[in-house]
Formats: sequence, C-alpha cells, structure tokens
Amino acid sequence: MSTVTTLRAPLSVRAKGKGLAFATALLVCGVLAVVPWFTNFGTQRLMIEIFTVFAIALAWNLLAGYGGLVVVGHQMFVGVGAYALFALSNRLEFNPWMMLPLAAIATGLFAVVSAYPMFRLRGAHFAVGTWVLAEMLRILTLNNEWLGAGGGMPLEALSSFDRWTRNAGIYWAALVVGVGTLVVARTILRGRLGLALMSVRDSEAAAEASGVAIRRAKLVLWVIAGSLTGLAGAVAYMNTLQVTPDATFSLNWSAAAIFIAVLGGIGTLEGPILGTLVYFLLRESFASYGSWYFIGLGSLAIVTMILAPGGAWSLITRKWPVDPFGVRRDMPR
Amino acid sequence: METFIETLLGGLMLGALYALFGLGLSLSLGVMKMINIAHGDLIVLGAYLCSTVMQFAGVGPFVSLVAVVPLMFVIGYVLQRVLLNRVVGKGALTPLLLTFGLSIVLQNVLQETFTADTRSLQAGDLSLRGFDIAGVSVGLLPLVSTLISAVIFAGTSWLIGHSHLGRQARAVADDPGTARLVGVNDGNFFALVTGFVLAVIALAAVMYGIRTPFSPTSGPERLLYSFEAVVLGGLGNVWGTFIGGLVIGVAQLFGAKVSSGLGPFFGHLVFLIALLARPQGLLGKAQR
Repeated sequence: MSTVTTLRAPLSVRAKGKGLAFATALLVCGVLAVVPWFTNFGTQRLMIEIFTVFAIALAWNLLAGYGGLVVVGHQMFVGVGAYALFALSNRLEFNPWMMLPLAAIATGLFAVVSAYPMFRLRGAHFAVGTWVLAEMLRILTLNNEWLGAGGGMPLEALSSFDRWTRNAGIYWAALVVGVGTLVVARTILRGRLGLALMSVRDSEAAAEASGVAIRRAKLVLWVIAGSLTGLAGAVAYMNTLQVTPDATFSLNWSAAAIFIAVLGGIGTLEGPILGTLVYFLLRESFASYGSWYFIGLGSLAIVTMILAPGGAWSLITRKWPVDPFGVRRDMPR
Repeated sequence: METFIETLLGGLMLGALYALFGLGLSLSLGVMKMINIAHGDLIVLGAYLCSTVMQFAGVGPFVSLVAVVPLMFVIGYVLQRVLLNRVVGKGALTPLLLTFGLSIVLQNVLQETFTADTRSLQAGDLSLRGFDIAGVSVGLLPLVSTLISAVIFAGTSWLIGHSHLGRQARAVADDPGTARLVGVNDGNFFALVTGFVLAVIALAAVMYGIRTPFSPTSGPERLLYSFEAVVLGGLGNVWGTFIGGLVIGVAQLFGAKVSSGLGPFFGHLVFLIALLARPQGLLGKAQR
C-alpha cells in the first residue's frame, strides 16, 4: 500500500482513449442488458448471483482496502437489506422492485446506528466486533415470530409475476446493482472522499495533520458501503425467494467477499472484478468436491496472502502500468 | 433465591471456561498484536484430538491430555514458524485474512476427517457427581474446571511477571524492534508463545468437550466468546480476561433463563453495552 497520494485530481490520459473506454463500457452494458432474451433461466440465475456477490465484494473491498475497516460481519448488511425488502414488501403488499431503494435506505440507517458501538473498536478488534453484531442479528431474527423465526419467510408479492418477467426483472435489477456499485465506487475514489480515504490509508497522522476529518470520512464510507451491500443482498434474496436467519446472516457472505478481494487484489477497483471471475470459475468447476473445494479455496487465499498480497491484479500492474478506471493519483510534475 | 444463586454460580463456572478460551487470544494479541480467527477452530481441533486419543488408547479425557497437550504445543510451534511468522507485524489486515483462510481450511479438514456429526467427550460418572451446599447444587466437573482455569491464569500471570520468557514477552509487546536489538529471537519466541497458547487451548478443549457436544463448525462461536472476554476485560491484562470471561458466562446463563434461545445473545449484548460504557475494558487503563 505505497500509493503516493497528492492533492491533484488524476490527469486524464487522452480524450480519445477516454472516449474509447466509455464506448466499450456502454457496449458491455448493452450486451449484458439483452442477456435475458438469449439465455435460459439457469444462466440468468447464475449471473444474478455473480452481479450481487460482485457488488457485495466491491463494497467490502471499499471498506477494507480504502477505509481500513476490515469487516468480518459483512453478512449483517446483506441480512438487513434482504429482511427489510421481504418485510416491507410482504407487509405493505408493494411491488418488491419499488421497495429496493427502501431496503437500501433501511440498511444505511442500520449502518449509522451500528457505527456507534463499532467505531469504538479499531483494526482487528473492529473486524471481530462486526461479527459479534452479525451474530446478534442472526439470533434476534431466529427468535422473532414476526420475521418468520427459524423458517424465515418467502417473498409473496413475486408469485403474481410470470416466470420470465420475474427472472428477467431480477436479472436487470442485479445488473443495475453490479454496474451501479462500480460507478459509485469509482465516483467516490475520484472525488474528495476518495482522496481523504487514500490519504488516511497511506498515513493517518499526516492526513489528520492536513485537516482530513478522518472519522467523518470513514462514517460516510461505512454508510454508503452498507447501503450498497444491503441493496445487493435484497436482490440476491429476490433470486432465492426465501430468507432464513441462518443463510441470510451466514458468515459465507463475508467469506465470499474476503476470498474475492484477496484473490483479486485488496484496495483496487479492478481486483474484485478479477476476483469475482476467479471465484465463480473455481466454484462452478470444483464445488462438487464439497469440503475439499473449501480446503483448496482457503489454501489458495493463504498462499495468495503470503506470495502476492496484492492479489491477481497486482501481478498485472507489476508488468503493465494500466489504470482502466482512472482512480490512481500520480505525483504532479 | 436458590435458582438465582445456582444460575450465578453456573454462569461463573461457565465463564471461567470462556476465560480460558480467551487467555490464548489475549496472549497472542498482547505479544504479536494479531487476532487468530482460527482460535475457535483450534479449540475444536483440540477436542477432536482428545476424542481420538481416548478412542485408541482407551483412556479418560483427562488422561488423554498427556498426549494432546504436547501435540498441540508442537502444532502451535510449527504453525507459527511456517505460516504466521510471515505476516506478524504487517498491520492488522494480513494476519486477520490469513487466519480467516486457515479457519475455513481447518473446519473443512475436521469435517472431512471426523464427519459433520456432533461428538462429546465421555468423562464417566465424574460428569454426574455433584454436591449440595445449603440447598444449592454444584456440579463437581464445572468446579474442577473452574479451579484448573484459575490455576492456569495464576501460573500464566506469574510466568509473565517473573520468568525470563515473560520478560521477553513484555519487551516484545512494548517494542518489538528494540527487543530484537537486545537479542530476542522473535521468530522462535513467537513460535514458543503460540505453542503455549495451543497447550492452554488443549486444556480448555477437554473441559469444553466434556461439557458441550461439539462439531466441526462449532469453532467460530468459541472465537467470539474468547474475543468478548478479552475485549471486555481490557487489553494487555491477563486477569482482565478472566473477569471478562466470567461476565460473559453469567450474562449467557441469565439470558438463557429469560428465553432459552437467547443465552449467547445476552452475552453479546453485555459485550456491546460494556463497549459503549467503558471502551477500554473493565480492568483496562483509560487512554488519552
């Protein structure tokens, strides 16, 4: 983490290169948008999972890689978002797609409240502290009849849609969440907040001395990343149609985010993209091996942490100095 | 009144076990400034090792420790030397993520080796014996495990305060760079500490295994209880961890009295409230 941080915004490379990148991004989004007309339900469901897990991992990576806020209880945001959507949609009998923004807002509010106890902890203590909070939420929902207790609840409103509309609708929501999270992350990193966060990451003392409001910057990031994760969690559970305390507040969500960020590269925007591809490639090829798959995945993460702590993306930037998202800040000459 | 005292005593004795879980975490935090996320899974590993030794040698759980304690010491030493020493001192993030990976690996290795079924350690009629004091019944086994826990805490506290290793531990905890300058071989020393931590874990594991059935996925909960004991007690304070463990144990048992499913929840709740009211921990020194 020796990125040099300066006060100047990144220099745009060349107007032509910028236009090309923008056209490519549009083309990719366009191709992804028409996928429901050309694929079967199985592929769509897998891609919904890929987009939502990507968004969750990217939000985790924003917190850990840029805010220094390593979260082991990241599943709490997934769970709050998903439960908020299911409860609101079932009780108010509204269209679940219309409720998605409310689920994100609810998760954001939860993030504000949870910051009070959590921000008293630092570093590794903070990490495990968030896990305690996630466990508390799991036990609470497990014992709450109104939320369906151990059996959870289905998303009733979805049964009024036919299968194609439902799948395609969830797919587009997932696509918007995946692309949207990337856009939000890039906007943050190129703006004032990103500058503040990267200066804190490089030297907290120097940042504080230069007048960066560290606590506020971290709090804003916490709320944004929490809301994004809640939104992605809500869409992910629209896909499975049922929330249960043990699955929705499962450590597996954090584990997936951590593996993706570690394999791809912590503290980069490109890392989670690469990491998500690697993660799903491995899962689709080897998940049938059960325990052995997890042993392999865990070992791979351990080896990556030791041999290439910057993940797969660092192996690429070591050779070619590429910066597709324009978030690197170079020393002014 | 009797049930109140019984619950309180039961909570204190459960808490003494949690304190013993937390002791290892407190030591590695103090000396190496790292949290081992696989701590709980190592406790479960210890319980499975006891169970295996008991099966093959046909001995009781406490006798099995003769083999398991040295074995766990060696596992700890090697683990630190081969793996963890590579990431000690590289900030909070790297050791945390590395041991997170280790935790996933360990859970699945346990599952592959011992299946997902729950097990428990059979202590024969020792676990059934108890006695009455003025109408309050006390189990013999929890009492024994509380005594063992208190003795280990006293021993560790004495080691840190008076032995050569303890002096090294305090030196490294204060300033690892200077400690190395004056001749502390920190690679070897960290490995010895982790070996000691795992030996303590083995003792805690046997009492845990007799008390509660365990499965390959029981680790993370043990880690959380250990963590709460450490943070609640205050960092860098061995006896603080002991008190912290007692508080969590009492909170859990009274919570279970309120509603049987909410025991651990109340432990977590007390932890959060204590964090808000006294962030430096019960015995910790106020900072700034």
